[in-house]
Amino acid sequence: MRLVTLLAEVDTEKCTGCRTCQKVCPTLAIKVENRKAVVDSEKCRGCNNCEQRCPVYAIKMVKRVNPVRVYVDPSTVDRSEVEALCKKARFNPEQIICYCTETRAEEVAAAILKGADTPEKLSLETGIRTGCKVECIQPILRLLEAAGITPERPDGYQWYGRTPTVWDIPEEIKEKYSHRGFYFDQDIKVLNKVAEGKKSLEEAR
Amino acid sequence: MRKPITPMKPRVSQYGVDPKYVTKRMADYENITSLMLKDLFPDTPDVIFPSDKGVEAIREAAEKALENVDMSMIKPEHSVNICASHHGFTLLGGEPYAELLKTVRDVIARRTGTENIRLRAGVGLRFRETEEYIKSFGLDKYFNGKAKGVAPVDEGIAIETEIGTLYGIKAIYDADWIVHVHNSDVREVHFHRQVDRAVKPFGMSYARIETRSTYHQNLGPRGANFTARAIFNSDFVQKKFAFTVFLNMSPAGVVSVDADNNLYALNDRLTVDGCKYYGKIMTLLGEIDECIVGLDFPCPVPYVFAAGVIYANFTGANVDLFDLDGPLPPYTWYTEAFYGKDGKPLIDNVPPVNPAIKMVVHNYAWGGYPSAFFSNHCPTIVVGREQADLLNRDPQNLQYMEHAVIADNLDAAMEFAYRVAKTDKVIIFDGAVGGINVSTSLAKLLLEKAPIVSKRVDEELLPKWLKQRGINPDILK
Repeated sequence: MRLVTLLAEVDTEKCTGCRTCQKVCPTLAIKVENRKAVVDSEKCRGCNNCEQRCPVYAIKMVKRVNPVRVYVDPSTVDRSEVEALCKKARFNPEQIICYCTETRAEEVAAAILKGADTPEKLSLETGIRTGCKVECIQPILRLLEAAGITPERPDGYQWYGRTPTVWDIPEEIKEKYSHRGFYFDQDIKVLNKVAEGKKSLEEAR
Repeated sequence: MRKPITPMKPRVSQYGVDPKYVTKRMADYENITSLMLKDLFPDTPDVIFPSDKGVEAIREAAEKALENVDMSMIKPEHSVNICASHHGFTLLGGEPYAELLKTVRDVIARRTGTENIRLRAGVGLRFRETEEYIKSFGLDKYFNGKAKGVAPVDEGIAIETEIGTLYGIKAIYDADWIVHVHNSDVREVHFHRQVDRAVKPFGMSYARIETRSTYHQNLGPRGANFTARAIFNSDFVQKKFAFTVFLNMSPAGVVSVDADNNLYALNDRLTVDGCKYYGKIMTLLGEIDECIVGLDFPCPVPYVFAAGVIYANFTGANVDLFDLDGPLPPYTWYTEAFYGKDGKPLIDNVPPVNPAIKMVVHNYAWGGYPSAFFSNHCPTIVVGREQADLLNRDPQNLQYMEHAVIADNLDAAMEFAYRVAKTDKVIIFDGAVGGINVSTSLAKLLLEKAPIVSKRVDEELLPKWLKQRGINPDILK
C-alpha cells in the first residue's frame, strides 16, 4: 500500500528535454514531448526520482491536493495461488519486500495474478519501488519470473535484469569463500524457514 | 564531571530541516557529561585527526602511505576515476575525507603525469547528497569541474561475475583506471557484519539498484556482502582497479591512512582494526540496562552516531553484531522483512530491538532512509512540527510519523521522556568526536563496566570474531 502525497512538477523554462527524468521514472509517468518533460499526474507516484536526477534542477515535488492511495488487496484473488507464487519465488507471503512502503510479497503476487506483468505496472498499482527506488527490484523480478513472465525492459535505466540469489550460488563458490565469513548455507536455512512459516531459527545456526 | 563534547553542527541539506529550527541541542542540559574513549578504554589508539595539525595530518599521512603504492600502470594519457562514497563526508565533519580525496588526486597527477583525473562520488539513498558535499568542500573546483555525484538509478553497466551478472554504475567505470578511496568506519555492521568491509562499496555505492537489491534481498543476512566481492573479483573491475586508499578509523578519530595495490590485503588489516577498535565500545553499549536515546546529528535516523557507533548499531546492541553465529541482528533489512502483519516475527527467536531503549528523542535527524522500523519498535518523540512535516514528505518515511509523537520543543520532549521512560540515563548520538555525551548516571555505569568489557573482548570475543572471518587470531600477538 502506498499513499501518494506528492506530484512532480516541471519548470518548463529550465527543462532542456534531456530525458533523464524519463529514463529513471519507475512508473513511466514522465515523458519528453516537444523537448519538454510532461508529467502524467495519474501515473506519478511521488517517488522523487526525476527531481533527484534532473541535471538542471527543473523538477520540484509539490503536495497533491487530493492524495491517492494505491493498493492491491490480496484477499481479492485466490489465496492458494498467492501462496504458490510466493513460495515459488521463495518468499513468505507476509514478508516485507519494500521497506519504504512496507509492501508485502502477497500484495505484489496478487497484482501479478490480476494482470500486472512488468515492474512498472507493479509500481503503479502497489506503490512498490516508489520509496527509495533501490532495494526492491529483485523481489519484483523474482515474483514475475515465478509467474512465468519475462518482462520487457523499458527504454531507460529503470532496471536491467534479475541477478543471482543465494540458492543460485554454485557449491564450489560457497566452498571457496565460506572460510572468509560468508555463511551461505546457513543463510539459505534462515531464508527457507521464513518462506515456510514459523519454524525455529535455532536450526539455522 | 567533564563538560559535554561539542556536538556536530546542523548542516544545510535538502534532506534535513533548516538548521534554524535546531534551537537547542541535547548536550546543552546540565546533567549531561562526556566520556572520552581513552578514559573508557586506555588502549584506544592515538589519532592523527582530530589533532593540532588539522587536515594537514591527513595529507601528510596519505602522501606517506602512497609512497609504497605502484602507480606505474597509469600513463600520462590515461583517465582515472577516484571513486568515493558519501559516508566519508559524514565523519568528523567531512574535512578529513575531502582532504584525502584532494591528496590522492595531487599524488596521482604528480606521479603519473595524467591530468584527466575525475571524482566519482556514490551515494546511499539520498541521490544528491554527494553533490552537496562536492560543492561544500570545493571538490568541483579542485577537480577542475570533473567531480560528479552518481546514483544507483543512473545508467548501468553489466558486470559478469563468478555468481552471474551484476550491475555497476556506468560512470564509476568510465575511465581507464579506478582508485577506491574510502574509510574503515564500521558503521553498518548489521548489514556487512565486518566481512569484507573494505570491499563493500563495489556492491553498494558504486553499484546499480539491481546489485544493491541483491545484497539486501537475495543473498541473506550473512552472505549479503559477497555481492561486493563478486563484483570486485570480476575481470572487468580487476582490469581497471589501480589501488586503494583508506582513512583507517577508530571511534576516537582517524588512526592512520592506509593504501595498497591489493584491496584484500588492506581489507584484512582493517578487519582486524575494525573488530578491535569498534568491538569494545559496541559491546560496552550493550551493557546499558535502560536509557533515553537522543538523535541529534545531520544524518538519517539510523546513521546518527557518537563514539563511532551509529544508532542502528545501538538498536542491536543487545546482541553481539560481530558474532557470525547469530543469523539475524535485531535490526537489519532482512530482520525488518521478517515481521508479519500482526507485528510479530514470521520465525521464532528473532532478537528484539534493544530493550534498553525506553524512549527516543528525535531532536535532529534527516529523512532519506526508510526509518519507520525504528519509530515502530521504539517509542519516539520528534521535536518540532517542521521535522514531522519533512518526514511526512519523504517517500522513504511515509509511515515514520504514524508511530511517533511530536513535541513543540526539546524541553517538552525531554520532560515527557523522563516521566514516561522512568530513567535518568541518557545517551546522545550527536556526532561527538573522541567520546560520547551521556547523562552522569549513565557515565557512572559505563565507567564501571568498561574494564570488564575490555577484558572480555580481548580474551574471548576478538579471537572468535577474527577466526570467523578467516583471520588467525595470532595476528594480535
